[in-house]
Parts: sequence; structure tokens; C-alpha cells
Amino acid sequence: MDRIEAEKKLNEIFKIDHFYDTQWSVIEKILKGEKVLLIEKTGFGKSLCFQFPALLFEGTTIVFTPLIALMRDQVNKLDSLGIIAKCINSNQDNETNSRIIQEAIKNQIKILYIAPERMENIEWLNAARQMNISMIVVDEAHCISTWGHDFRPAYKRIVNLVNLLHANFPVLATTATATKSVEEDIKQQIGKGIYSYRGNLIRDNFRLFVIKVNSEDEKLIWLGQNLNKIDGTGLVYTGTRTNTEIYAKWFDYIGIKSTFYNADLEPATREEIEKGLLANRWKCIVSTNALGMGVDKPDIRFIVHTQTPISPIHYYQEIGRAGRDGKNTFIILFFNPNDDLSLPKAFIEGSKPSISKYQKVISALKNERLGEQKLMKATNLKQNEVRTIKADLIEQNIINEVNENKSKIYEIKFNAPEVNFQPFNELKEHKTKDFEKMIEYINLESCRMDFLCNYLGDASSNKCNKCDNDTNHIVTMNYDDSWKQKIDEFHGNYFPVLEVSSHNGKLIDGVAASFYGVSNVGKMIHHSKYENGGDFPDNLLKLALRAFKKKFKDLKFDLIIYVPPTVSGNLVRNFAQKLSEILKIPISHNLHKSRETKPQKIFQNAVLKKENVQNVFSYSKTNEIMNKNILLIDDIFDSGYTVKEIGKYLIALDVALIAPLVIAKTVGGDL
Amino acid sequence: MNEELLYWFALTQLKNWGIFKKNQLIVKIITEQKITLSQFFNLKSDNYIENFNLDKSDIIDLDRVKKELPNLSFLLEDLLAQGYELITINSSKYSKTLKENLKLKYSPPLLFIKGNSQLLQEDSIAIVGSRDADEISLKFTDKIAEIASKEFKVIISGFAKGVDKQALDSAIKYNGHSIIVLPQGIMTFNSGFNKYYKEIQRGDVLVLSTFHPKAPWSVQLAMSRNPIIYGLAKGIYVAQSSDKGGTWSGVIDGINKGRKIFVRLPYTNEKNANNILIQKGAIPVDQGGNLIENKFNQLEFNDVPIINDDNKKEISTFDLSVNAQIEPKASIDDRIRDLLSYSELTSKEIIKTLNLDWKIQKMTSHLNKIPNIIKLTGKPSKFYLKGDKRINNLFGE
Ligand SMILES: Nc1ncnc2c1ncn2[C@@H]1O[C@H](COP(=O)(O)OP(=O)(O)OP(=O)(O)O)[C@@H](O)[C@H]1O
Ligand SMILES: [Zn+2]
Repeated sequence: MDRIEAEKKLNEIFKIDHFYDTQWSVIEKILKGEKVLLIEKTGFGKSLCFQFPALLFEGTTIVFTPLIALMRDQVNKLDSLGIIAKCINSNQDNETNSRIIQEAIKNQIKILYIAPERMENIEWLNAARQMNISMIVVDEAHCISTWGHDFRPAYKRIVNLVNLLHANFPVLATTATATKSVEEDIKQQIGKGIYSYRGNLIRDNFRLFVIKVNSEDEKLIWLGQNLNKIDGTGLVYTGTRTNTEIYAKWFDYIGIKSTFYNADLEPATREEIEKGLLANRWKCIVSTNALGMGVDKPDIRFIVHTQTPISPIHYYQEIGRAGRDGKNTFIILFFNPNDDLSLPKAFIEGSKPSISKYQKVISALKNERLGEQKLMKATNLKQNEVRTIKADLIEQNIINEVNENKSKIYEIKFNAPEVNFQPFNELKEHKTKDFEKMIEYINLESCRMDFLCNYLGDASSNKCNKCDNDTNHIVTMNYDDSWKQKIDEFHGNYFPVLEVSSHNGKLIDGVAASFYGVSNVGKMIHHSKYENGGDFPDNLLKLALRAFKKKFKDLKFDLIIYVPPTVSGNLVRNFAQKLSEILKIPISHNLHKSRETKPQKIFQNAVLKKENVQNVFSYSKTNEIMNKNILLIDDIFDSGYTVKEIGKYLIALDVALIAPLVIAKTVGGDL
Repeated sequence: MNEELLYWFALTQLKNWGIFKKNQLIVKIITEQKITLSQFFNLKSDNYIENFNLDKSDIIDLDRVKKELPNLSFLLEDLLAQGYELITINSSKYSKTLKENLKLKYSPPLLFIKGNSQLLQEDSIAIVGSRDADEISLKFTDKIAEIASKEFKVIISGFAKGVDKQALDSAIKYNGHSIIVLPQGIMTFNSGFNKYYKEIQRGDVLVLSTFHPKAPWSVQLAMSRNPIIYGLAKGIYVAQSSDKGGTWSGVIDGINKGRKIFVRLPYTNEKNANNILIQKGAIPVDQGGNLIENKFNQLEFNDVPIINDDNKKEISTFDLSVNAQIEPKASIDDRIRDLLSYSELTSKEIIKTLNLDWKIQKMTSHLNKIPNIIKLTGKPSKFYLKGDKRINNLFGE
């Protein structure tokens, strides 16, 4: 098929009159059964490079992409063009996924989007053996490279697959973010004479700003003062899930329409927010970097980072989704030199577990083949640690990942080598250097866009004439006492939610007086609990009462019950006693533990935490709680398993309602 | 190398091609034309006809497999990710013993393994025999395994009940090496991989299969696995054989091919066919595996009471029934076909052997409906399966 013919078809189906030259070169190669790596900026039109040939092929084109939002988006778009595209992902129920797999086997689907993790799924692998597969697309191909900003172990299997495919099988790898070294890495891994195309990555409608502040509050204040002055809608990225909530509450407080988004939310909620984003329902969405990738919204007018990304490439990737329509777009990065270095540094430092943890996993596996859950139990390691270790051990040919029934188990290979820790150190060094580059960006006095493009490997060098440095428009903080007051009021009235509510509605979401790590609440608790500091101090009591009033003032409680102690003696009991006196709600001492438990904090993962408190509680006078509204008191809320377990137990005893109130909620617990 | 693996895998998937045909093609590609399999797969069909002696239907088969290449890639990726290894017939890791014994005609082009592949290069013996062996045969098996383990010989086990399983257990007991030759695809052996996990990890056990990795157990596969067991072994010890069935035909074929086969000399009261094998040229050994040539010249040998005709029938059916019952799930037709592939039997004998609750009349008329089952003249008439010579020729030309 020549270009004229192809463009006729393009017009008919996609209503686009011509290909860009690069697009056509790529498509020509794909149609010849070649392998291509395409590095082009967001919005260039990479999708067309596989969507078009997919229609010419007899069978199904498989698109591996880690972004569920993107899958949905593209499926909808193709749908409206009358092209049969479907996606398989973990947000859909199993039935839907299985049905789509069956359709694919019957060759009823032209383009099938799937998450890379599916390559470990047995049902999928069995299906793939029966499908008529015409082409494979690896989207976000930078995830292949450990040097990239978003290495994902699941891509390893895609690389293996691509290497096994026969010579004339078309493969397209695409990314908008790859440095030269990542590009080389991808080419080397996918191998077999892959062609690569690299466009220039400058985004000339971006207005890049860095705003230096002296405290976390100043970030909130600046946004409060200025966000509504920026046209359109956009995204605010925070470094942690907790912060998404705090920022959203703050915007709420000062009347900026917003919502928050993070991986803790239910899939349905997330989907709803993605829709709202497209419909401009809020001025901004406060999110972790889980949102935005792959959302095809042309007019995201601003992206604010309240936390420094760990490298310029992360940054470029995260701001990439803004301003695809080419119009003026504000890209703002806050930097608080007092506070903003520790999180990325901890992240880099913690990117690999310690040597002894690797040994723990290996010795557990020497005894028997284990699945992930059992491995967590056997090692008391966090789930993400176990996952990192597993991936590294697979990479180093030390263990196999084996299918057993529908799950996966791990086994040591015969003749397995020792763990080589050298690459981990190199990776840390590499990441440290990248972070230094990011700091360099922050302190830059020349063109910021130019710096980013050079970093990514663009050959040319040009001033953007739009960034703060080029326009000499350096933003500084400037606010009066009224903003300070607002912030203090906000903090004084902001109480974290404990999300524990159960299906039947009897256990409702609780409230904490504060976050554990924020302000010095954590220190006070620690002092009482672990340093013999006596009862929890009265200001914690005051804070708890305020939280209670804010959250539960409309409820009437019949009884206060507290979580029986593990190690801290009568601290919680005394605290509950005081609350009972002030709130004039009777207190019960009848909730007990039927066996000894260990402090939840010694368990690093959910499996063990759950087990620790399972079926441990008993209540001695069940009559007195029947049909009662109960306020449940504890000091620290971490994983929530204790509260949920008590909830489950008391609901079985026919209480009417349970509302948890705790002093502090930890930040970023496991899972 | 991984690149080539896909094509090896594809080649073994050619439908209805025998091993010999596949191997001949491999030889043409690699030795004669001196190209890689991937190059071969990318040639045009006139080239196949000219240079590879392939005909139209061969090319249709090839084209079919080519279409399946992407699917095979997925399976192969999965196999490798799960730590299985593929060993091609031209690889230095391939068992030289196997190649020597089975020659080009019967050596499987591709082995699927997990574990210590070095075991394929070690000196080896197989201890074979009935699935329902007597205590005395199992003791013999244990003893031979003990001696072999001390001499660093690998024990080849077919992982069947009885002698096979005993050979494996004993090898493990004596810290020896063993190879499990599976009657199924290697991806369907999870319970075994759990059970022998430590031995595999230590390098004491290697698991091997020559079938499609996902193939479930079947009588068919169990039968075609037998030659692999014999082929992998340098020495063969027979613990207990009846005068028909897998062990028997394997040994007879081995003797015909001039292989040394050691058979346990039975006690007078034993009801098995060990003595007949010795008569036919197998080498008798005592309970401890020692040669007893001197004691047994032909003359003395004739003195050993050989089972009379009546007994023989009973034993054969006894042993066969065990063989045939291995997989209760196998369809009756399969079981009948299998049985008749190596023996000629009457309807009554078939019913008895397969342990069926059928009338003789029913069996006879049923037999007439199964394709390729031939009725011999005589009273009562016997049946056999046409053209199935798998069992013969275990050892190549
Ligand atoms: N040749 C073309 N002419 C005009 N418009 C085009 C052309 N190719 C693609 N487009 C349009 O450009 C827009 C962006 O395309 P696409 O979503 O493929 O970008 P992308 O490069 O994949 O970006 P991302 O990195 O976000 O995945 C789409 O609306 C698409 O229809
Ligand atoms: Zn600039």
C-alpha cells in the first residue's frame, strides 16, 4: 500500500487527511514486519502509528500499556470511529475480562489493550496461544529500562516475548520520555535490528516556573492566592497520598473547587474523577502521579508540583500531559529547601531493600516454593519489599516464577548464583545523580525548557522565551497575616478520616485528631507510650474532642469502648475515661483480648497484621451493647485491621453503630 | 540462541510428522544447507521443494506452523519464565547416550527439562519392570539403585508405579542422581516439582519430558515415553517382566539391537517372564546385581522350570491389566487400542485385562466398530491393532 492509498483510507476511517512524515515512515516499516522504537512528545500522534496498520492486519494487535485511563480513553475513541477495540485490566471484573479474551480468541477484536502484568496471568497466556496476533505494541516503552524513570518488572516479560517473536513480526515501542541512555537500553533489549525515530521534545507552549518557599504552608498560601487567577483547569501533584487529601481539604476551605485522587480510592471513584477531569468539573484535581498519564485531555492548563520529582525525566513525564492543544500552559514547581529534600532522598535510599532482606527471602525459598502471601508471612517483609526483591532475584536468574493453579509461586533455581548487589549500588548512584540534576533545574538561571530538552537528549538548544528565567518573571512569596490566620484555622479544624466503613453501614468512617507525623502529636504519643511519659497530655485530649465534635456532633452515643492494650498499659483506658467524663457517655471496660497479641507495628505487612488480631476480641456482657451506638477509642490508627476486626466482632453482637475515634493516623502505612 | 528456540519449538509442532522426518529435515537445514532454522523458516516454498525435498503437503504443514509462531512465542516465553529449559538435538547439552541409542530415527529433536542438565552427560542406568512388581523385585531395584548411586551413575526413572518409582526413591535415599522421564508435558507436573523441589535445587534430580509442554498424561504418551527411558540409559536392569507389555517389548527389542540387558534371575516359584528374557539373550544377574554367567550355561538353563503355556497366559493378562489400568480416565477405546497395539487377544481376554464388566458378545461387536482393529481367523478369534509398530524398534536401526 502506498502513501496516497493509505491516506485515502486514513481519511475514510480516521477523518485525518494526511500522515506526518514520521508517522508514515513508521507505518511503512510496521507493515513490512519490522520493529520500531518511536520517541515523540505527547500529542504527536504516536497512537495512529499502530492504530492504522492494525486495521490492515488480519488478526489482533496487542497493545501493552500500564495506563488504565489511557486504555479506556483510546477504546472509546476507536469505538466512535467504528473500530473494535477492547481492553483487559484489573479494574474490570473477571467476567468481563474473560469475555473479552474469548472474543479475542475468535478474532473479533482489532486492537486489544492490556496491562503488562497480564503477561503473568495464566488465563491470558493460554488465550494468547490461541489468538491470531498480528502486531505487538509496547507503550510507555521507557518502563523497559531500569535506567528509565519508571522501570516496571512486568515489562521484562514483554521484552522476553518480543525477543522470541520471529523475525518478520511487527513490533512498535513508543514513549514520550526517554533519555539517550534509555533509548540505547531499549534498543539493546528489544534488539533484532530495531529502528528508532526520535523527534524533538520541546513543548513550546509551556511556561515553566519554580517557586521557592520557606514552609509547607507557604505552598498552600500561594495556591490559595493564585490558583483561581490561572485560566482553565489543571492538576496539582503532591508527593504523598496523605497530601492529596490535605491539599484538597484546604482548597475546599478557601473555596477553590477541587477533589483528590490517589491509588487508595476505589476504581469506580477513580473513573468518576477521570470523567470529571475531562468535563472540567473542578478547578483542579489534587493527585499523586497516578493520575494524568494517558488522559487524553487537550487543555490541561496548569500542572503544579508541590513536591520535587526525583529527576528531570520524571518531571518532564509528569508535566507532559498538560497543554496538548498547544496553548499557553503554566507549569509550576514548588521548592522548600528546608523540607523537600528528605522525601526524594529517602525514596532513593529506600529504592532497594537491605542485603539481609534479600537473604531472608532466599532462605525462605530454599525450604519450599512459596507464593507472595506466604513469602510475606515467612519473612515479615513489606509487600513492596517482597515484590522488589522477587523482581531482582528473577532478573538475576536466582529464582523462577512458576504457575501453580491460578496463582504464582517462587522457587530457587538449580545452580542459582549469589545475589549481585553491585547493580543496586550503581542504580542508587544513578538516581542520586538524577536528583542532583533536578536540584540543578530548580536553581537554574537560564532557560528551563532548554535544560529539560538537553537532558532528554535533544540535539538543538534554544531559549523558550516563556519560562520564569527567560522572561525575568521570578515568583516570590508575598502574603499578609490574614493568610496566616486562615492557614492556622485550617489546621485547627482539619481532622484525618479513618476509612473503615463496612458494607452494612454499621461500622462508619472514623476520625483522627491528627496525623501521626505532622506537628508534634506523634512525639507526644511516643513519649507517653514508649518513654514512660505518663498519660497522654491534655492537649491531645482537646484535639480529640475537637475532632469528635467536627465529625460526630450529630450522632448520639450510648457507650464508649476502647481497644484493650497490648503494651501501653492503661494509657488508652485512661484517655477513654477522660473522654467519657467530658462527653458524658458511659464507658465500658468489657472488651478484652482472648489471647495475647503483638504490637501491630512489628508486623511489616497486611497478611501478618490481619492474622495478629484475627478472632482475638471478646466482649463479656454482650447484652449491654445490643442495639447501642458505640464510640470506639484507640491511640494510633495504622493499617486499620484492629478497628475493622473489632467492628466485625461487635457487629456480630448486634450493636447498632460503631464510630472510631483515635488520636493519630499514621502516614503511608503498608498497602 | 533464544531466537532459534522458537523455530525448534515450531518444528516439533509439525502435525503428523514423525521424529525421523523432523530429524531428517533438521539435518538438511543445519548440516547440509548450513543455515539456521530461522533462515529456513523465512525461505520461499519453491526453495523448500528444491533444496529440502519437501512436498506440497509438507509445505502446508509448515505454513500452518508459521501462522502459529506468535502463539508459540507466548508459550515459549511462559516456559522459559517458569524456568524450564529446552535442549535441542544439536546441542552439546543433549544426552549423547540417548542419541547413540535411538539414532536419528527416534531421538526426540527437543527435550524439555528442569534441573541439573549435567545429569544428561553422566553414566546412567535404567531399572525397569512391572508397575505391580513383587516385593523381591522392589528389593532388587533398591539394591541396584544403591550400587549405581555409589558408582555415580544416574538412575533413569519413568515415574510409574512399582519399579520406576522405587528406582527414583532409592536413588534419592542413597543421595544419588536421577532423571525423571515424564509421561506428560513438563508444565503439568507441578505436584512433582513441589515434591522433589529440594532434590532439584541440589542438582540431584532432573525432570525431562519430550512432549508438548502442556500435554496431559495419557496412555499414548506413557507408551511413547518408554523408548526415552531405555534410550537415556547406558545399562538396563530388568527387575520383573511379564511376557508381554512395555517392559517385555522394550527388552526384546534391545536384545535384538545387541544391547546388554541385565535381568534379575527369578526364584523358581516366581511367576514372571524374566527367565524367558534370559533365554532370549538377556544377561542374568543375582539379587545383588552380580553376573551369574558361569552358573548358567544353556544346559543348566533348560533345567530352570520355565512357565508352561497355561501359566503364561495368566501372567500376561495379569501384567497387562496393570499396564492398561494406569489411567482410568483414558477412554475404553484408547485402552483397547493400546492393549492391542502390542498383543493379539480374544474378546474375553480383553475384557479380563481391562477389568470390564462386559459381555463377550458386546466386546466383539464393539471391536468391529473401532477403526484399524483387525480380526484374525481362528476360534475364538483374536484381535490386534493394525500398523502400530511403536513398540518395536525401541532402539533405532
Ligand atoms: N497526521 C495527523 N494529522 C492530524 N492530527 C493527527 C495526526 N495524527 C494524530 N493526530 C491527532 O493528534 C492527537 C494526539 O494523538 P495521540 O493521542 O496519538 O498522541 P500520542 O503521541 O500518542 O500522545 P501520548 O504520548 O499522549 O500517547 C489525536 O487527537 C490524533 O487524532
Ligand atoms: Zn526558557
